[in-house]
Amino acid sequence: MARYRPSEMRQQKAQTAPQEPNLVPIMNLFLTIIPFMLMFVVISQVALVALNFSQGEGGGGSSGGGGGGANIEKVEIIILDSDYAKKNQFLGFEVREPGMDTKMLPAVNENYDFVALDKQLKSIRDRKADLIDITVTVYPNVLYGDLMKTIDLSKANGFTQVHYNRPVVNYY
Amino acid sequence: MQFKDSQSSSDKTFRRVRRKVEDVKGLSITSLLDALTIILVFLIKNVSFDSVKLSSEKDIRYPTTITNDLLREKAEATSVKVFTDKILLGNESLNFGNPRDLLESPDKRKAIFQFLEMEAHAIYANNPADVEACLVIQADNFIPCSYISEIIKIGTSVGYTHIYFATLQDTDWLQKETLAAAR
Repeated sequence: MARYRPSEMRQQKAQTAPQEPNLVPIMNLFLTIIPFMLMFVVISQVALVALNFSQGEGGGGSSGGGGGGANIEKVEIIILDSDYAKKNQFLGFEVREPGMDTKMLPAVNENYDFVALDKQLKSIRDRKADLIDITVTVYPNVLYGDLMKTIDLSKANGFTQVHYNRPVVNYY
Repeated sequence: MQFKDSQSSSDKTFRRVRRKVEDVKGLSITSLLDALTIILVFLIKNVSFDSVKLSSEKDIRYPTTITNDLLREKAEATSVKVFTDKILLGNESLNFGNPRDLLESPDKRKAIFQFLEMEAHAIYANNPADVEACLVIQADNFIPCSYISEIIKIGTSVGYTHIYFATLQDTDWLQKETLAAAR
């Protein structure tokens, strides 16, 4: 029986040690991308609060986002400002609810009482579980932050369709 | 002391002693790479590629809100930044002067009207029919609402169907108010 000697090719395996992958280009890529993305991380921290407009509201706004017409039952929050307070000796919120007496929520130390407004909105929510429309009427000198808190509380209490209104003032 | 090369010298008693230099090992960056990969995944998760560039302005004191509404999917937005001393319009942040001009200067009001009208028309002209124009207002906490109302009035009259206000999300602000009221 013929015997074959081992192939010489078996002796020609790679003699060099296995090389590690070169990670430097990947590192460079990462070091470029990461600062760039860190710049964008700030962006995602900004939240948004949406408004809805129905015909005749929002300073001549157009319809959108399911905003209702005049026939839909709405709660109205009026944020009164310092000018109103000078004339009428009252600063705070006026909450109008269909079929109920108007509720006045006075400011505490010239700060709007958002805690009382929250309680009032919760009580309205308990009475009218299906109501989602609310109108926020804001006087000119009310600060933007107070307007946002009012809209925010409305949304947090389930009044998702917030309509914006203001006392009629014409500049044109 | 005299040294002689062992090869060139026939005298075998002296040998040149050479210190064996250890191979310098490459710096291991595998762990660093792991950390960077984790950070990268985290950042990709958090990054927002909204059509509007909503960067927070450090000179604006944003109001805080509990709720956070998402920008509509099929929407193109134009931002209006209202600082206490200036108004920046559009994603290019064009300076349109002082907020007081909104109420006092008809020319400035007209300029803002024309700019927003042009932006709204561009959005509707350059996008499919179902894309809507949104106005994102980024305003300072202590701006009177008369300026905001004026911007909303202009925005809705030129064709922006949705108005958004940029805020910072803080789910505890009412609790803080409650605590402050209790004191």
